Amino acid sequence: MFAALRWPKASWRSRGLAWWEATYWALDLETSGLSSSDQILSVGLLPIQGGAIAYGAHYYSLVRPRRPEALSAEGVRAHHILPAELEEAPPLEEVLPEVFRRVAQGVLLLHFAQVDLAFLKRACRELGQPWPAVGVVDTAVLVARLNRHRARLEPHAQPLPSGLRAAREALGLPPHLEHHALWDALATAELFLLLRERLGLRTLGQLF
Amino acid sequence: MNPIEFVRQQAPFHLLPEEAMQKVARGLEIAFYPEGSKVLEQGGARSQHLYLIRKGTVRLEREGQPVLHLEEGEVFGYPSLLSQEAPAFDVVADEDLLVYRWGERVFQQLMVYPEFAAFFTRGLAERLRFSSRLEGALLGLDLSLPVGELVSRPPVFVPRDATVEEAARLMRDQQVSSVLVEGEPLGILTDRDLRNRVLAEGRGPKTPVLQVMSAPAKTQPASTPLFEALNFMVQQGIHHLPLEQDGRIVGVVTDTVFMRKQARSPLHLLRRLERTKDLADLRGYSRELSGVTEGLLAGGLAPSEIGRSVSTLNDQLVRVLIGLFEAHNGPPPCAYAWLVFGSEGRMEQTLLTDQDNALVFEEKTPEAEAYFSQMAGFVVDGLIRAGFPPCPGGYMATRWCRPLAEWVQLFRGWVESPTPQELLEAQIFFDYRKVCGALSLEPLDAVVAHTAQQGIFLAHLARASLQFRPPLGFFRRIRAEDGGVDLKRGGIAPIVALARVYALEAGSLAKATVERLRAAARAGRLSREGAETLEEAFGFLMRLRLREQLAQLKRGEQPSNKVALEGLSPLERRHLKEAFLHIRQMQESLSARYQTDQLG
Repeated sequence: MFAALRWPKASWRSRGLAWWEATYWALDLETSGLSSSDQILSVGLLPIQGGAIAYGAHYYSLVRPRRPEALSAEGVRAHHILPAELEEAPPLEEVLPEVFRRVAQGVLLLHFAQVDLAFLKRACRELGQPWPAVGVVDTAVLVARLNRHRARLEPHAQPLPSGLRAAREALGLPPHLEHHALWDALATAELFLLLRERLGLRTLGQLF
Repeated sequence: MNPIEFVRQQAPFHLLPEEAMQKVARGLEIAFYPEGSKVLEQGGARSQHLYLIRKGTVRLEREGQPVLHLEEGEVFGYPSLLSQEAPAFDVVADEDLLVYRWGERVFQQLMVYPEFAAFFTRGLAERLRFSSRLEGALLGLDLSLPVGELVSRPPVFVPRDATVEEAARLMRDQQVSSVLVEGEPLGILTDRDLRNRVLAEGRGPKTPVLQVMSAPAKTQPASTPLFEALNFMVQQGIHHLPLEQDGRIVGVVTDTVFMRKQARSPLHLLRRLERTKDLADLRGYSRELSGVTEGLLAGGLAPSEIGRSVSTLNDQLVRVLIGLFEAHNGPPPCAYAWLVFGSEGRMEQTLLTDQDNALVFEEKTPEAEAYFSQMAGFVVDGLIRAGFPPCPGGYMATRWCRPLAEWVQLFRGWVESPTPQELLEAQIFFDYRKVCGALSLEPLDAVVAHTAQQGIFLAHLARASLQFRPPLGFFRRIRAEDGGVDLKRGGIAPIVALARVYALEAGSLAKATVERLRAAARAGRLSREGAETLEEAFGFLMRLRLREQLAQLKRGEQPSNKVALEGLSPLERRHLKEAFLHIRQMQESLSARYQTDQLG
C-alpha cells in the first residue's frame, strides 16, 4: 500500500526546508470500525503553520454514511455520533474534496498513519479520485524513534506507550477529549510539536 | 476539555461575550516551547502575541534573576504588546510549555470589550503607581515631594532685642502666624506663644521676645519628604516648621498648609487629641483615624510610613489618657513605663487593632500597686472608648501590671527555660516599646540583647515562628479558602515572626519588622537579598491588606485580613504568589537551620 505512495521530485527537494516552513495538516477520522467494510463518519483536520497550530483554520465535518443500516451500537457509544446527526451531514463526495483541497498544499500528519490512510485511499477509489501525492508524517513512528533514542541514552528507561492518549500523558501533555476527529487531530498536532522538539529534528526531511 | 472551553474559563476571557469568543476561536494559535527555552527576551523583540498558558509553567526573569512564576491559565506578553516596547523580562519555560496565543491584531479586536480591556490596563496602572504615586497627585498633594516645595515666601525675622509688641506688629503687617528671631540659637515666636506665654501670663507689650520664644527652634532640611516633615511635626507637637538649606532658613511651613491641602491630615487628629479634656472627647477617634490612614495611603505612602504616623497618633492618645489620669489622681508614687506590644510595639499599626499593652513600675509597694492598677484600668477603658477593642488574649495593662523586677524575671524565664507553648504566646512581648513614663527599661533590654546566645530559646522561637504558613498548594498555586486568602496568617504574621527571630539572633533591639530585617542583614544573619525580598513582600502585603480594609470600612463592613482573589489584578495575584513563595523558602531554610522538626 505504501509502495503506491509516489513523491514528486519537487517534494524531495523541499525536504531540505526548515521544518517550520512547511504546513502540516493534522488529520483524524472517526469510523464505524476498523475493518475494510467500515465507513468514515467524521473528519477533523487543522494546520500547523509557521511552527504553531492555527486553530482558527480547522475543518471539521460529519460524513453521511452510504450504508447507515450497517452502523453498530458500539460505534455510536465510542464516538458519540448519533445516527440522526449523520442524516443531516454532507456525503463523502462533498467532504473529501474539502479535505484534499487543504491537504494538497502540505504534509499530512497522522497518528498510526496506516489506519487513516487506508480509509482515505479506499474513499478515493470509491469516488474515482486519484490519491494526491502528499508526504505523511506519523507521530506514532516519531514516538518509536524517541523510544529508540531514549533507549540508547538510558537502557532501562520505560518505553513510551504508542497510543495517542497514553503517549501524550507520558510526555506531560494535558488530557483531551478522545474519539472526536477534531480533538484527536489537535491532540496529534500538539504531540507532533513536542516530539519534533524532543528529537531535535530541524528540517522537513528529518521528519520522515 | 476542548481549547475554546478551556479559554472561556480563564480570566479575562470569561468576561467576553459569545460573539467575541468566535474571534478568540478564529485567532487561536497553539505553540509548544521546550523546557528552558525563552518565549520572550528582556530588551529583545517586542511581544507579537498575547499568551495564555495551557500546560506547564514559565518564570519571568530580570537580569537572570527569577522574579515571578506563572502557571496554567495565566496570561503574559501583554505589557510589551500594550506599550509597544521591548519585554521587561525574560519569559522562560520552566517546564515543557503548551501555550495558546493570539496575534496583535486579534488582541486589539478583543480590547474593544471594556471589561476585557480593564483586566490588562488595570494591571498596567498599578505598575505605574509603584513609581509615579499617581493617587497622591490626584489628591493635589504628593507626600513624597520635598517639603521645601510648600514654601511660598521668604522667612520673616525680628532682631534679637525686639519686644513682643514689635514682633506682633510685624506678624500683622506681613500676615504670618510666626516670626523667627535672628541670631544663635535660632528662635521662633508664634501667635500661639503670644496668647499662651504673653497675654495669658499677664506679661506686657514690652516683654523681650527672648523671654518667650522657643529656642533652639526645631528645623528640618528643605529636602525632607513631606510625609517625614509631617511626622516630625506630629512627634514634636509643633505647628510651625522652619526649613533650612545650605545653612540658612529658606522658609517656614505651618500645619495649616498641610491641612488645607489634605483634608484628613494626621495633624487634624493631633490637634483634636491636644484638646481632649475627658473621655467623652474620644468618641469617633477610630473613624477619624481610618480617614487619616486612607489619606496617607492615597498620598502614596508606604505602609511602614503610615504605620509610623498612626502609631505616633496612638502613642499621643495614650499620653493624653495618662495625663488625664494623673491630673485626677495626683503624680505617680514611683517611676513607671507604659508599654505596647505587637503591631503597636513595632509601629506597624494602620487601622485600629486590638490593644496589646502593659505597665511596668519601679517598686512593689501596696501604694504603687493600687495606683498603677487604677491607671491601667483608666487608660484601657479610654482606649476602648476611642475604638480599640480589648485584646482577646488578655494582653492588657489591666492584667499585665507588674514591678520591673518581675518583668525581668518573666523574660529571663522565657529566654533561659523556654517551653514551646509559652513562647507561642510570649512572642509578641519581645516587640515591646515604651510609650510613656520615666522608668528606664535597660534591665529588660539587657535580657533581650543576650538572647543571641540562647540557642534553645532561639530554636523554640524559630519553631513558634513557623506556626503560620503561606497558603500555597501544588504547582505553587495560591490556596484560597471560601474564595479568599488570609493575608495576616498567610503572609504578614510569618514575616513578622521570621524578622523577630533573625533580629534576636543578631542581638538587635529593633522592633519594626523592616528594621529587624535590615539589622539581621547587617549582622550577617540573613543575606541582603533575602532581607530585601522579605521587606518588599511585607510592604506589598501590608499595602494590599490596608487597601482592602479601607474598602471594607467604606462598605460598612468589619475590616478583616481576608482578600478575595478575584478582586486582584493579575499583577497583584502574581506578586502575592511571589511573596508567599519567598516566605515559604525562608521558613524552610530557618526550619532546616534549627531542625525545628526535632524539637521536643
